[in-house]
Formats: sequence, C-alpha cells, structure tokens
Amino acid sequence: MGHSLAPCSMILLGILLGAGLFAPRLRAQAFKEYDIKAAFLYHLAQFVEWPPEAFPAAETPLVIGVLGQDPFGKALDEIVKDEVVKSRKLVVQRFRQMEEIKICHVLFISQSEAGHLDQILASLKGRHVLSVGDSENFAQRGGIVRFVTEKNKIRLRINIDSAKAANLTISSKLLRATEVVGSGETRP
Amino acid sequence: MEALRIPQRHRLTLPVLILIPFVEPYYLEDRSCGVRTSRTGMKLISAVPGVHVCREVMFFSAARLAILIVLACVAGGRAQTNVVIGTPSQLKKLSLDELLNMEVTTVSKRPEKLTEAASAIQVITQEDIRRSGVTSLPEALRLAPNLQVAQVNSHDWAISARGFNNTLANKLLVMIDGRAVYTPLYAGVFWEVQNVLLEDVDRIEVVSGPGGTLWGANAVNGVINIITRSAKDTQGVLVTGGGGSLLQDFGAVRYGGAVGSNLFYRVYGQRFDRNSSILANGNDASDRWEMTQGGFRTDWYPSDANALTFQGDYYAGSEQGAVADTLVNGQNALGRWAHVFSEESELQVQMYFDRTWRSIPNQLAEDLKTYDFDFQHRFAGGERQTIVYGAGYRLMQDRVKNTSLISFLPPNRDLQLFSGFLQDEITLVPERLKFTIGTKLEHNDFSGWEVQPSARLAWIPATNQILWAAISRAVRSPSRIDTDFFLPSPPVPPGVTNFSGSRGFDSENLLAYELGYRIQPFNRLSLSVAPYYNFYEDLRSIDQTSPTSFIFENHFKGEVWGVELSANYRATDWWRLRGGYNYVHKHLWPTTTNALSTVREGNDPQNQFSLQSIMDLPGHLQFDVTARYVDTLPAPNVPSYFTFDVRVAWQFKNLELSIVGQNLLDNHHPEFGPVIGRREIQRSVYGKVSWSF
Repeated sequence: MGHSLAPCSMILLGILLGAGLFAPRLRAQAFKEYDIKAAFLYHLAQFVEWPPEAFPAAETPLVIGVLGQDPFGKALDEIVKDEVVKSRKLVVQRFRQMEEIKICHVLFISQSEAGHLDQILASLKGRHVLSVGDSENFAQRGGIVRFVTEKNKIRLRINIDSAKAANLTISSKLLRATEVVGSGETRP
Repeated sequence: MEALRIPQRHRLTLPVLILIPFVEPYYLEDRSCGVRTSRTGMKLISAVPGVHVCREVMFFSAARLAILIVLACVAGGRAQTNVVIGTPSQLKKLSLDELLNMEVTTVSKRPEKLTEAASAIQVITQEDIRRSGVTSLPEALRLAPNLQVAQVNSHDWAISARGFNNTLANKLLVMIDGRAVYTPLYAGVFWEVQNVLLEDVDRIEVVSGPGGTLWGANAVNGVINIITRSAKDTQGVLVTGGGGSLLQDFGAVRYGGAVGSNLFYRVYGQRFDRNSSILANGNDASDRWEMTQGGFRTDWYPSDANALTFQGDYYAGSEQGAVADTLVNGQNALGRWAHVFSEESELQVQMYFDRTWRSIPNQLAEDLKTYDFDFQHRFAGGERQTIVYGAGYRLMQDRVKNTSLISFLPPNRDLQLFSGFLQDEITLVPERLKFTIGTKLEHNDFSGWEVQPSARLAWIPATNQILWAAISRAVRSPSRIDTDFFLPSPPVPPGVTNFSGSRGFDSENLLAYELGYRIQPFNRLSLSVAPYYNFYEDLRSIDQTSPTSFIFENHFKGEVWGVELSANYRATDWWRLRGGYNYVHKHLWPTTTNALSTVREGNDPQNQFSLQSIMDLPGHLQFDVTARYVDTLPAPNVPSYFTFDVRVAWQFKNLELSIVGQNLLDNHHPEFGPVIGRREIQRSVYGKVSWSF
C-alpha cells in the first residue's frame, strides 16, 4: 500500500468499527438455481419411503426422472453420479412424454410442461411417484413437492395429501423443514 | 498516380497528425521534432506554444480518497461476505438445512450456455480477471483471445477486433452494464476513463464480428460487454490497496448492504496513481496520471417477476501533459427495469445519462452529455419461434472548445440517434437446428437511415458442440472527426498544409461472412474456432484536393480475413489453462487516384497468441502466469514482442496477499505508434492486499 494510503485505511477501519458494521458472517457461497434444485432432488430421495412394489426387483435402481425440457444441464448427473440411496443405485432418466415413463421414483416436471400439468398429475395417480415441480400452484394442483423461490432461497412446499395418495411416506425430518399444504388450498 | 506526387514526408505525417489531438499531448512535441524539416508541416506544428513547459507535480489526493471512503461507509447496514459460485458436486455434500439456506444467483432466466451461443463470443470471468493480476479494464481485455490490445503510453490504448486497430479505433461497440461508452468525436472509446472496480465485474463478454442484430450502434467488428455483479452478489466490505513501480499506489473500498430482504446496494470508491511509461532510450515519458472514482449500485427485486437496477459513477482525474495537465471528469446514472411476464415473455427498459468532460490544453476541450432510452421485449411466437424486438433513442449534446490548432465546426452539435431492431429465432429442428434472422434500423444525423440485417444458422449435432454460420451487414456511421474536423483551425493562410473532414462523408459498410465451431470434447476441455471474411466498402480515405489540402473521404475498399482459435482446459482440479490464437490478414485498396494509398486505417499484427495458466498450490498459494505474443505491426513498424505476467498470491480465509510482475521479459517494449517519440511499456511490479468480510 502506498505511503499516503496507510492513514486512509486507518480512518476507514475506525469508521467501520465505530459504525458497528463489523458483523461478519460465514463466507457465503451461492449456487445456480437449478444446481440447488438438482441437489434437492437427490436429498428428497433419501427422505421418502416407497412401498416395496415400487421396486420390482432387488436390483431395480432408484430412478430420478425429468419430464420435459431439462433445466438442470449436467448438474443433476454430476450430483447423482455414483450415489447409492437405500442400497439402490441412483440413475437419472429424461422423458419427453408421460408414455415413456416405465419405472420412476422421483419425477421432476419441468416448467415446459406447465400447460398440461393437470393431465400429467392425473396420470400419475395411483403410481408411487414423488412428483416435484416449480410451476405455479404445483402443490395445490396435486403435485407433491414444489420448489418455491423466496428471498433468493429455495423453499419446499409439500402436499401431504398427494403424498399419501401415492402411498409415499415422507420423513418427519423433511416435513419439519418445509411448508405443508393440502390439496385445494390457495396461497398468494 | 496523382497521389504519388506528394512528398514522401506528407504521406507519412498526415495520418499521424490526425491521431495527435486525442492520443496524447506529447505526440505533438515528438512529432514536431520529427517533421522539423517538412516545409509546410513545420508551419502547422510550430503553432503549438509552450512545448517545453515544466509539468506540475501530481498530487496524491489523500483527502479525496478519504471522502470517498467515508461516503462508502456511512450507508450502514449489516455486513455480509463475498459470494462465491459453487459447483453441483459441492452441493450434494450439504445437509438439507444447509441446502435450504443456499443463495440462488439467478432467479428466473436460465443463462445461455456458451456452447449454444451462435457467435464468436469469448467470456472473461471474474476469476480470470482476478487471477491474471490485471489492474485496469484495457489490461483485462488482453485476456480475450479475440481482441487486439496495444498499450500506447501510460494511459492510452488501442483496442479492436478483427483488424483496424488504432488509438482512434472506431468499429467496436463497448458497453458497461448496458451503457454505451462512445464518443461521437471519433466513434471510439476514451479507454483511460472507463474504470470499474474490477472486483465487482461479473464477466466481460467479447463478441468478435458484427454480433447479430441485438446490439446497439457501432457493432461493426465487435462488441465488448462489461457486466458488473448485482449488488446482491457484492454484499459485505471489501478493502483493497497496494502499490508498485508503474501502478504506484491504489486503493479501493466497497461496501454492500441490504434493506429488508429484496433491496440490495453497494457503494464504492477507488483511486490510483500510475507512473509514466518510458521512451526507447529509457527516459521518463512524462505521462503520469491519476484517477479517483466512486459509485453505487442498487438492485431491487420487489417480486419474482421484477428487477430494478439503479447505478451511477463519478470520476475525476488528470494526465500529465506537455503544456499543462489534461483534465478529465465524468458522471453517469443508469436505471433499468426488467420484467418477466412468463417464461416466454420478458421486457427490459433502460435509461441512462452520461456526461464526460475532457480538457486537453492548447488542443481542445469537450463536454459531452448523452441521454439514452432503450427497451426490448422477448417473447415466444408459438412453439418454435423466439422473437425479440426493441427500440432506442439517444441524444448526444457535444460541446467542443476549439483552439487555433484544431477545430470541430460547428463547435456545438446535438446529435440524435433513433434505432430499432427485430429478430426472430426459428427452431427448424428442436434442439438441433436454429435459424436466426433479424435487422437493425437506425437513423443518425450524418448518414440518415441505415439498415443492418443479419442471418445466422446454428446446427447443434450433439449437446457438446455447435457449428454456426452467419452473414451480416454492418455500418460504421460517421462521427464528428469525419465531417466537422479542421487542422489547423480556419482561416488557413495560403500555402499551409491543411486537413479537414468533409460534409459528404458517408458510412463505412461491412459485409461479414462468419463461421464458427465450438466443441467440448470432454468435461474439462472446450475449444472454439471462428474463421471469417469481411468485405468493406466506403472505408475512410484521405484524399488530396489541392497541393496543400487533404480531406476525409470514403474512397477505400478492403477485405480482411482471419481465424480465431481459443481453448479452455481444466487440466486438474488445481490447474486451469486458457488461451487463444488470432490470425488477421488485411488488404485495402483505393477506389480513386486522389485517395492516398498510405492511409493508416489501423495497424494490425498478423499473428497473436495468448496463454493464461491458473494454478492452486498447497498452503493456500496461487501461482498464475499470463503470456502473450504479438506479431510485428506493419506500418508504422512496431517490432513483434513476447512477454508475460506472473502473479503469486496467498489466500487465507478473507485475506489475500499478492505480488504481480507485469511485462517481465524485457526491460521495456513498444506496442504501438510511430518510432519517433514512441512510448514503451516497462517491466513493473506491484503488491496488493485484499480483505473482505
């Protein structure tokens, strides 16, 4: 630092300390929106119990599906790579249409499908699929987990009725950390 | 040929004289020595009084910095830390609660992936800038492999893309956060007054080539888009400072805070003193300078669908001159509103005001006020089309104070620019083939209506590669130097060599044919190659109208072809390499016999090579090297050079200490300009402390 600058930095320090600005937080790290959402998909798989019939064979992997335009890029594959949940290998599959879905445990429904969300959710009825999305009113319309962006953080909104209808058990630990709604409830 | 009868000296001197007024007062002195034997040229030059006046000592204004620091701190609020963008693999190690507390960087828009961009775009990231140890925007632009950057003296730069490089380079569009930094004096950029707090830069996007139809006026050979971080991403206190041999001392303070949960702001102040470059014989070139700058930015996100930005800067500085110091100052304020109607529809409205003032003793003073309004709207037209359209209005009030040496007549002009554009991106085969067609329509006060259409086709054979081709028409619209310029100021005594712009000067036209291919063969490596062929018509020429009179005309044609290569390679988790190679071939020819064939529209190296190595070592150490090779400049001749910068840093938590050596290979080397009086850039070193909390 130049010789003339030194007194200035002292002035600055004095001001900072005096003004009570010295309130350091942990070093923050930020992530891209869909990187975080991808990580949530991975976590959700750990906090949900599927009925035994969701896994026809002992070696059936746990499938995380993405329906419609994939917003995750490589992030989801990177996170899921080589991971095992409940002693099942995690795999990512991408679907363009509902008809392509054979086995799927966690299904992210992209915003590209928002136009026919109701049909998609209707055809998921009776299947043991944890539906996840970030479209408007996703949870109220019958989806199970909605990502809500609030104050630049991702919140989870869970429709417990839909989860029960799909015969999925969501761990209380996850429910505590999220907002639980029922079908038909409207929210601003 | 008529032109060949002009004495050799004239032909060499004239183009240089044109550069004089803006380049640097000292050129005048140096050139006057150089042309002393020239009969007519001598009369002209000796009109400059006081060439040997002593310079004033520059004051380091501690008081000014202190005021800025106080300004930067009084705002108050809660302190936060710098934000670092993490990778997905870091995320999966987090607990659910930690994940719920993660900050998101982009709320709505999914940024276009680099592999999908159908243009010759290169991006310089914050990390690239920090790890290179560069200390100014022009230095940072050296990191773009598709730019030609030459340092002319301590404060002046010549920067261009795809040829035509010059201190008065006039074929680039340069924007800082959407604000065009453009002087209508010569359709270029006064680089030394374009300062930003480098730590706040998010990225610099450099597009070589006309860059499509979306950009504003003057995007002929390229677009430089300097984008600073949202105030949301610059929370907390940052203090940096240091000093060295060329960059004698510098300091900056930034404070970022928040009001409530969705209004963020930052204020900053910075200043620096830079030492003189040197002459070929090692003597001090007496071009020291200093600059003090402060500014703010607020980003307000009242809802998911709205983002409002308001930002501004103030700067003042002085540059050591032959007679007296050149003084500069400027202010700007910009407001922007972005609204998302839906995933498929977005609106952006922006307004700014920019004032620049510059006083070059015994040459000219200019006060320029720019008022600008723009909007653009993007929406989906059915399943397969994305349409973007927009319009803008710009008023430039240019006030020049003339001297007996040079004049812009009339001294005061109010220049209006109306612009509009329309672009349609059509998906021919989903995720595979895209066709983009569009046009710009502009009206300027010099050449009237200008139509600039462009068409590009992008083929994405696989998710890791893209091949694209484009044809565009672009124009470099006239500026005041082309039409209003007089050297010396009238009335000109008979027999004195004189030079002037011409009212009939028209736009320079470009027809650009571009190709590009990008591939990411595997995760750690990305490569791009971009060949091009540019055909120019109505290029600026200097025509002789009488034995002693010369004017600007549009009597040159030219072709430029070349290729740009770049690579980015993450060799290991701790070592990253990025580099590029640039080949430019330029050929210009006159269309009339009056046009002097020696006109120097740019002085371009045929080959250019750059490499940046970024290495994290154990013990919180960083070792970074940036090297560059620039081929010989043909006319006036500047020898080729190779040199490199080295940065060694120790980073521990929020404290970073670094030592940077710049231009280390030689004691000094020239990068631009004629040999007489040419400034050379010397080896230099500085140390820096950076502390954030």
